[in-house]
Amino acid sequence: MEPPNLYPVKLYVYDLSKGLARRLSPIMLGKQLEGIWHTSIVVHKDEFFFGSGGISSCPPGGTLLGPPDSVVDVGSTEVTEEIFLEYLSSLGESLFRGEAYNLFEHNCNTFSNEVAQFLTGRKIPSYITDLPSEVLSTTSGACSQDHLALHGHEQGGFEESKVPSV
Amino acid sequence: MPHLISRTPRIAESGRPSGLPADKNISSSVTRVIVKTPGKQEDFMIADDTLVRQFKEELSAHFKCQVDQLVLVFMGRLLQDHDTLSQRGIMDGHTIHLVIKSKHGSRSLAQSFPNLPTNEPCHQDRNTTGNSSGVFQPARVSPTPLESALFVEPDALKVHMQDLEVGSPECIAQMLENPTIQQLLSNTDLMRQFFSEHPDMQQLMQQNPEVSHIFDNSEILWQTVELARNLAMIQEIMQIQQPAQNLENPLNSESHLGLETIPGGDNVQTLPMGQSYADFNDQMVNSSQDPFGGNLLSALLEGQVPEQIQSSSPSPSPPQEWQDQLPQLPTTQVIYTSSCGLSPITSASATSNKVNHTSRTKTDTMAQSHTCSIQQSAGVPALPSIELTQQPQAEDKDATNSLDSSGQRLEDDFQLSDEQTSSQITGTMMQLLLNNPYLAAQMMMFMSMPQVPKIFSASKWTLSRPLELGTTTPTCRYLLPQRWTPALLSTSSRDPRDSNHHTYLFTCYLPADPFDHLICLFHLF
Repeated sequence: MEPPNLYPVKLYVYDLSKGLARRLSPIMLGKQLEGIWHTSIVVHKDEFFFGSGGISSCPPGGTLLGPPDSVVDVGSTEVTEEIFLEYLSSLGESLFRGEAYNLFEHNCNTFSNEVAQFLTGRKIPSYITDLPSEVLSTTSGACSQDHLALHGHEQGGFEESKVPSV
Repeated sequence: MPHLISRTPRIAESGRPSGLPADKNISSSVTRVIVKTPGKQEDFMIADDTLVRQFKEELSAHFKCQVDQLVLVFMGRLLQDHDTLSQRGIMDGHTIHLVIKSKHGSRSLAQSFPNLPTNEPCHQDRNTTGNSSGVFQPARVSPTPLESALFVEPDALKVHMQDLEVGSPECIAQMLENPTIQQLLSNTDLMRQFFSEHPDMQQLMQQNPEVSHIFDNSEILWQTVELARNLAMIQEIMQIQQPAQNLENPLNSESHLGLETIPGGDNVQTLPMGQSYADFNDQMVNSSQDPFGGNLLSALLEGQVPEQIQSSSPSPSPPQEWQDQLPQLPTTQVIYTSSCGLSPITSASATSNKVNHTSRTKTDTMAQSHTCSIQQSAGVPALPSIELTQQPQAEDKDATNSLDSSGQRLEDDFQLSDEQTSSQITGTMMQLLLNNPYLAAQMMMFMSMPQVPKIFSASKWTLSRPLELGTTTPTCRYLLPQRWTPALLSTSSRDPRDSNHHTYLFTCYLPADPFDHLICLFHLF
C-alpha cells in the first residue's frame, strides 16, 4: 500500500506590536511580554486564520502583517485539502464563527491551536496560548480587559483585507 | 499499513489528559477515546482492538450520518478502515478528530468556504462598538473598504478616548498596548480622519490649514504622539521641579530642550525623559550629517527658553551661569541662554535626575559642538527607564565639559534611581493622558508606528507668554520658521493662577532647514 501523502503544517507567528510590546510591556504592564502574538496555520499552500470575520485564508504571508516574524514547524498531516476545508467549514459554523471572536478567550491563537491539534495532534507553543492569561494577570491587563475585548473584533478583522485564496 | 503498526504513539494531545503513559498498551480492553468534532467532543468506550471500520459504523449511528462521510484523524493521520485503534496507537484518553463530510462531496467544500468571508459583514454588524461597517471583508483587496471600516473606528476610539478621561491610567496604558489599536492607528487615513474629527484639532486646522499636512505623513503623526508622550512626562517633571531646579541647570537647559525635542531623523529612539536627552546629546554630536529638523527644534526650544527664564524669576543664579557661558561659545551662545531658561522648567523634578543627568551631558556636548545642535533622535518610543540611565552615564564619561564647575554641580544631582524615575514618568504620563485625550490619541498613534520618521521634528516649549495657536509662524515676537506650527499643549502649572507658563507643542512636518534654528534664535533675541 502506498504511503499516504504528508503535508507539512506550519505555524506563522506575527508580533502585532512589532517589537513595541517587548519594549513597553515592562512599563505598561509591569511584566515583560515578548510580543503580542497573532498566529495562523499554513497548510496546503494556504494560510488560515481566525478573526472577527470568521475563518479566513490567504496565500501564505499575504495578510496585512506581511511576512511572519517566526515560523514554527508543527508537523505534518495526512489530512487532504478537501477534508481540511470541510473541517474548517464545520468549524466556522460552530466554534469559530466571526462573532465568537474574543480577544482574550477565543482568538486567532485559539483557532491555530485547534487546527494544529486536528492536523498533527500537537499544540502550538505555550508562550502564544499563554499570552491572554499573562496579560490578564497584570493589573493593567485585567483593568482594560473590557476595553480590549471591545476592540478585539476589529483586531481580528484587520488582516482580512486580503482576498482569501479559497 | 505495516509501517504504522509498531509506531509508538507520540505525545498525544487530548481534550482530557489521560494520565496514562504513552507506551502503556492496554490491549483487548475497553478504552475511552474522545471523539472531537468541530464544536463538540464526546467520549466513546470502545475495545482497543476495534477496527476503525467498526468504530466508524458506531459513530455514523451516533452522528446520524453515513459511514462514508466520516473521516477520522488521529495525530494528523487519517485512520483507515482496516486498521485497529491499537494499531494506530490510540490509547485511553486520546482524542480522535472526526470530520463529517457533507453529502455533496467536494463541490460543497468549494462552496462552503468562500461563504465564510461573506458572512463577515454580518459579523461586523454585530460589532459591539456599534459600528456598522462591513469593511472587514476579505474579499475586498482595495484599501478603501479597510479605510472605511477603520473610519468607523475613530468613533469607537473617540468614545473610548472620552471614557479614558475618567478611566484609570492602567486602562489607558493597556489600550495603547492593544495591537488592535496600534494596527488601526497605523493607518494614516484613519488617523487623519480621527484627528480631523477631534474638536480641538478641527479648531487648530481652521486656524492653520497646514496642520492638515501633519496627517499626510504617518511618520509625523508618530512623531507627534511620541513627542506628546515624552512631553507629558517631561512636563510633569518640569512642573514638579520648577522651583527646585532653577538653581541647578544653566547648562541643563540644553538637554531639556533635547528632551522636549523629538526631531525626525534616524534610528535613534525617542526616549522618555532623560533618555531622549541622552539621545539628543548623541545626536547633537553626530548630527552634522543629518539635515533634519533637530536643529530647528532645539533652536526653537532654546529660543523659547530665554523667555521662560525671563518670566520665571525664582533663581537668579541660572541666568548668571548661562550668561557666564555665553562668552565661551559664541556660536552656541544663544543656545545656552535659551537652554538655560528651559532647564528650570524641565529639570525640575527630583525624580528627573536622569533628565538632569542627560542635560548635563548635553551641556558637555554643547561645549564640544557648536551651532550644530541638530537633534536627530526619533524612533521607537518608550524604552524602559533602565535604559535611560545607561546612556547618560556613558555620555557623561565621554563628554568633555568646558563648563566644569556647573557640570560637576549637575552631576551631583544625578543620584536618582531608575525605578523612581521610571515610575514617576509613567505615572505622570498617565496623568497627562487622562487630562488630555488628544495627547492620548497621539500617543496611541505613536504606539502603532514603530518606524522612525525621518522628516519630522517636534519640540515642546513652555513659554512665558501665549502664542497664537494654529499659526505657522507666530506673530507675537516669536518668529519661528514658517514650517513650525505651535499647538497649545497645555496651560499647566501647579498654580492655575499662574498663566505664565504655556506649554506649546511645536511640530514641524517638513524637512527642517538647518539654519532655521539660528534664525529663530536671532529673532528671539
